[in-house]
Amino acid sequence: MAKDSKDTDPTTGILREPAELQFRAQLEALKQNDADTPPSVWKLSPRSVLAYITGTAKPLDATINGKKTQVAITRKFFGDDTIVERAIVTLASERALLLVGEPGTGKSWLSEHLAAAISGCSTLTIQGTAGTTEDQIKYSWNVARVIAEGPKPENMIPSPTMIAMKTGALLRFEEITRCVPDVQDALVSILSDKNMVVPELPDANMVFARPGFNVIATANSRDQGVNELSAALKRRFNYVHIPIVADQKTEIAIVRDRSKELLERYKIPAKIEEPVIAMLATVFREMRAGTTADGVSFQKVSTTLSTAEAIGVALDSAIRARYFGNGAVTIEEIARNLVGSVVKEDLDDLKVLKEYLAVVAKKRGAKDASWKTFHDAALKAVTSAS
Amino acid sequence: MTAPDNAGLDIERVREQADRVLAEPLYWFPVRHHSPMVARHLRAAIRARKPKLVLIEGPAGATEMIRHIVDPKTKPPIALYASYRDDGNLLGLAGKASAAPDIPPRFPVWYPLLGYSPEYVAMKEASAIGADAVFIDLPNHALIDPADWETTDADHDDELSDASEPAPGTAPPSWEAVVVESSFYQTLARVAGYRSWDEAWDSLFEIGHRHGTYEDFRRDMAYFCAAVRATSNPARLARDGTLPRERHMLAAIKAELATRGLAPEQAMVVCGGFHLFLDRHDTEPPPTPPAGTCLTTVVPYSYVRISELSGYGAANRAPRFYQAVWEHLDDKDEEPWIAAMVEHVVSVLARGRKDGEPLSSADAISVTQHARMLAALRGRPMPILDDIRDALIACCCKGRPEEEGRHLVLAMTGAEIGNSIGRVTPALGKLPIVHDFYAQLDTLELGEVMGRDKRVTLTLDLREEQGSRRSAFLHRLAILDIPLAEREGGASGDGTTLFREKWRLLWSPKTEAQLIDKNLYGDTIESAAIAQLEEDVAKEQRHAGATCGRLLAAVSMQLPHLVQRLEVAAGAAVDEDRHFTSQCEALVHLLVLDRLALQRDLGRAAIEALATRSYARACLAITDLGSVPVDQQESTIGHLKSLAEAVLGGDLDLDRTLFVDQVKQAAVSTEVPFMQGAFAGILTELREIDPNDLAARVAAFATSHPAKMVLAGEFLDGAFAVSKTSMLLGAEALVGAIDTLLRAAPWDDFMVLLPKVRNAFERLHERQRLAFADRVAARYGLTEVEQISELPATSTEAAAYLATIDARVAAIMKDWTF
Repeated sequence: MAKDSKDTDPTTGILREPAELQFRAQLEALKQNDADTPPSVWKLSPRSVLAYITGTAKPLDATINGKKTQVAITRKFFGDDTIVERAIVTLASERALLLVGEPGTGKSWLSEHLAAAISGCSTLTIQGTAGTTEDQIKYSWNVARVIAEGPKPENMIPSPTMIAMKTGALLRFEEITRCVPDVQDALVSILSDKNMVVPELPDANMVFARPGFNVIATANSRDQGVNELSAALKRRFNYVHIPIVADQKTEIAIVRDRSKELLERYKIPAKIEEPVIAMLATVFREMRAGTTADGVSFQKVSTTLSTAEAIGVALDSAIRARYFGNGAVTIEEIARNLVGSVVKEDLDDLKVLKEYLAVVAKKRGAKDASWKTFHDAALKAVTSAS
Repeated sequence: MTAPDNAGLDIERVREQADRVLAEPLYWFPVRHHSPMVARHLRAAIRARKPKLVLIEGPAGATEMIRHIVDPKTKPPIALYASYRDDGNLLGLAGKASAAPDIPPRFPVWYPLLGYSPEYVAMKEASAIGADAVFIDLPNHALIDPADWETTDADHDDELSDASEPAPGTAPPSWEAVVVESSFYQTLARVAGYRSWDEAWDSLFEIGHRHGTYEDFRRDMAYFCAAVRATSNPARLARDGTLPRERHMLAAIKAELATRGLAPEQAMVVCGGFHLFLDRHDTEPPPTPPAGTCLTTVVPYSYVRISELSGYGAANRAPRFYQAVWEHLDDKDEEPWIAAMVEHVVSVLARGRKDGEPLSSADAISVTQHARMLAALRGRPMPILDDIRDALIACCCKGRPEEEGRHLVLAMTGAEIGNSIGRVTPALGKLPIVHDFYAQLDTLELGEVMGRDKRVTLTLDLREEQGSRRSAFLHRLAILDIPLAEREGGASGDGTTLFREKWRLLWSPKTEAQLIDKNLYGDTIESAAIAQLEEDVAKEQRHAGATCGRLLAAVSMQLPHLVQRLEVAAGAAVDEDRHFTSQCEALVHLLVLDRLALQRDLGRAAIEALATRSYARACLAITDLGSVPVDQQESTIGHLKSLAEAVLGGDLDLDRTLFVDQVKQAAVSTEVPFMQGAFAGILTELREIDPNDLAARVAAFATSHPAKMVLAGEFLDGAFAVSKTSMLLGAEALVGAIDTLLRAAPWDDFMVLLPKVRNAFERLHERQRLAFADRVAARYGLTEVEQISELPATSTEAAAYLATIDARVAAIMKDWTF
C-alpha cells in the first residue's frame, strides 16, 4: 500500500511538509478515482475534497509513481462532517470562507487541507498580526529597481493574494481578526470585485482573479471584539464555526492520530499506549468542561484546553521519555507535562487542578491503579510548581 | 433501490414479499404521516382507481367524524380527538394516571391532520368520488398498558422531565420508531450519511426525483418498508402494540368488505407502509377495547402544536415549510422544492431583518446557491430542508449559531413552523359545554381572543358588572385548567388589588380539546367548575389551606351555593388540620375572603368565625416550629410573619395574647439559634421585647463559650428575617453589641460567624443598611455625614475633604486588631 511518507518524497529534510506534499499519494489516488467533474481549476471535485478531509472506509486503487497500489484515505478532520461540507461549498461559491473557533480546534489544519485538496497548494498564506500591512495583502515594490527603472510589472513583489488571484488558487489568511480594520478592508474589493487595482502601473493597472480564486480565513473566537470585521467584510464571508470536539471517542482518536504523525515527523521512536491517550483526553475534557462524566462539578480553568493542547502534552511527554527516560510514555510523564498546559497565565488554575486531583483523580485512584499513578505524579508536579 | 452492504437483508425475499402485496387484488397504498409527496401520489392513485371504499388507518370508533373532516368549512390543521375515561378502573390506573384513586383516569389522544396529510387527502378524495371512507385501526385506549405507568411514575414526578412528552397511552401510534431501529435503515443511514430519519425520508421519497408515477412511488416505498420489516426486532413489534393493531386492521378490512358486499379490487387501504406486510394468516383475534366512556370529535389544531410533538410519529418538523412544498406540488410547479426553498429563505430573511439582522437579497441568493451546492455534494438532485438549514447558517450566521446567530435561528424556526390554526365546520355541532363556553365568550365580549395566536391582556374592574362577570368566568376556566386565561401574578394574583384583576388571554389549540374533556364534568362551564371544585376539595379535605383556597376560588367564581357547602368543608378541615403552614395558608385565604365579603356584601360572620378558628389553630402550632428542618425555616418564617401582620394590622379582632404567649413559649423551648432569633425578632416587632434587650442578647454571645459564640450569626439572621423596623429603632445598641461580639471573636470563630452576619444584613433594604453604616461611622468618630453629602462631588474642596476623611478612617483602622 502506498504511503504518503518521505520515502516517496524527494523533499526529505523539510521539518514540516505542507499537506499537499505530505498527503500527495492520497490526493493523487483521489484524483485518479474522481468520478465527478471538478469545478474550474480545482484539482478535485467537491466530493473528492470531502473524501480527502473526512477519509474513506476503503482504500482506493491507484497508480503511484508508476506502481499499482492501494491508498488509504485517512481522516484529517474529526468532528461534524457538515462543517466540512459547508466549507467546501462556500469555496466553490462567490463568497469567501471564515473558519471561526476556539484556539486549537483545528481551523488552520482544516484550512491547510482544504487548500491542498482544492488548489494543490496550501502555502499561499498571510499570517495576520497587529503589524500586518496593506502591502503584505496586496503587493509591494523592489524599491531599488523602482528608483532605477520606475514602476514596472517585473519590479513588483506580489503578495500571496496576488499570486492566488493570478493562478486561481486559494489564499489562506490566518488570524484575520488580529489585523487592524484598515488593513482588513483591503480585502473588500478583492472579495467583491475579484480584482486588485495597481494605480502605479497605468498600462496594467488591474489584476483580475482567475476562476478558482477564493480566500480561507481563520479567526480565533477568543479574539472576538478586538478587531471585529467590518460589516462590508462580514457580508463577503461565510462563517463556519468549528466547535471543540463534542465526544470523547473522537477526541481520543484525534490525539492518537496527530501524536503519531508528529512523532513520525520528529523521528521519535516512542509509542503512546491507548490507555495513556485515553486518560490524557479524559482529563482535558473534564477540566475544560468543569464537570466529569459521573456528574462531579468543579471550577473551570481559564486556559483553553483544546485538543491541540492535549496533542502538545502527548508530544512533549514522548520527547521527554525519549531523551530523558526509557522511551516509554507513561502516565507519570503525561501528568508532569499536564501542569504546564493547564496553568499558564492565571495561577488560580493551579487551584483548579489541585481541586480536580483531590476530588476526581484521588477518588478514581482508590479503584484504578492508573488513576492513582496519575494522581500521585500530578500532585507532585503541582506541589513543586506552587 | 440499491441495498446497502451488511444490512442482513435477503433482497430477493424482500422483493418477492413486496411484489406479492403489490399484486394483491386489494390495493394497498403505503403512507407516511404529513408527507406532501405521499399525499400527491395517493391523490393520483385514488383518482385513477376510483375505489368504492377507502380503508384508512385511523381509530375505528371515529369513522363518524370523517364527514365533518371533509366538510368544506373544515380547514386543517385540525386533529381528530379521542378521549377514553376508565369509569370502572378496569386498567387499575386510578390514582396513577389520575389525581386520586377515586378519580377515573382519562386518556386523550390527538391525531393531527394537515392539508397534506395523506389520510386527510384520502378522505377528501374519497368524498369527491363518492366513495366511502372508513377508519380501521384499533382505538388507542385498547393499547394502554398499565405497566407503562408503573415504570414512568418517577418520570412524572421529575420536574426536569420533558413536559412535551406525551404520557403513556396518549400518543397516537406510529411505525416510524420501528423504521429507525431497523438494521436496514441504520445501515442505509450510515452508508448514505443521513443524520436523521427526516433527512433520509426527504432524500429518498419526498423530493420525488425517482418516482414518475404513483405506481413507481408505491413500489419503491413497499420495497423500503419490506426491508425495514424484515430487519426489525420481532420482540419490539410484540411489545409496542403493532401486532394487535394489525389484527384489528385485518379484521376490520374483512368485515367492511363483507358488510358492503365489495370485492377486494373495489377497495383501497391507506396505511403506514410498515403495515402492508401484516400477517394475513394471523388467527389471533384483536384485543377488545376496555369498557368506559369514549368521546370523539374534531378540534382545531395548530402548526406549533404539531411541531411540538417532534420525535413522535404524529409530528412534522416544519409544517409551514412542507405546506409550501405541497402548494407548489399542487401548482404543478416544475421544481416545487426549489420554489418552496426560495419562498422559505425569503421568509426567514424577512423575519431576521425584523429582529435587526443585516440580511439582504444578496444573502438570499447566496443561501439558495449554497443549498443547491450542498445538496449536490450530498448526492441529492435538489436541496431538502436540512441543506437549506445548513446553507442559512453558513451564509447568514456570523459566528456561533447559539449566540451571534440566535435571531437567525429563531427566524428559521418561525418560518419552518408557521402559525396557522385550523377551523372546524359548525355542522359538527358543539358539545353542550363548548356551546356554553362560546356563548359566554360572546356575552362577555371575549370572542376576539379565539382562533388567534395573539396574547390579549385584560384589566378587570370588579366593581363593574362586566368586569365582575368576566372575572367569574375566567376563574371558572382556571379551575377547569382550560388553557385560555392566566391571571397576572399567578393564582394568588399578586400585584393586583381587591377591586382589580389582570388577566392574560391566549388561545391554544388545546382550549377546545380541554373543554371537550371537561364535558364529562358537566354541561356548562359553571356546573363543570362546581364538579371540579368539589372533586378537588374531596381530595384535600384534611388540608385547611387547600380547602380554604377552594373556598376563595368559589367566591371568585361567584358560585354562592357552593360557597355555603364549602364553608362546612373548610370548617371541618380547619378543625382537623394540625399543621402550622396549612393553617397560616387558610388564614391568609380567609382574610382575603373577609375583604371580598365586605366588597360583595357576603355574610362576614361565618368567614370571621372560620378565620378566628384557623388563627387559633395556627397559634397553637407555633411551639412545634422550633425544630423545623433547615430547608423549611424560611417558609415557616414567612408564615410566622403573615400571622404577626394579621395580629398587628388585620381587620379581624384576633387574640394577640395567644400569639405572644405561644411565641414566647417557642422562643424558650427551641435550641435552634436561627429560630431563637426569629422568635425574638417577632417579639420585638410586637414591642414585647425592647430592641435594647435584643441587642443585649446579641452582646451576651460575646462572653459565651466559643462553640456558642459562633451561633450568634444565625441568631442575628433569624432576627433580621422577621424584624427590620424595630431593629432600626435599636440600631445603636445593636451596632454596639455586634461590635463587642466581633471584637471578642477569635479569627477562626469570626470566619465562621461572618457569612451568617453578612446574610443577616443582606436581608435589609439598602437604605436600612446605610442607616446601620451611619451608626458604625458615628461609633468610630465620623459624624459629618450630612456635610459630606452636601459637598459638590467634583470640587477640589470635596476631594481634599474626602482625603482627610480617608486618612482618619485609616487611623481608626490602625487600632483594629484583626
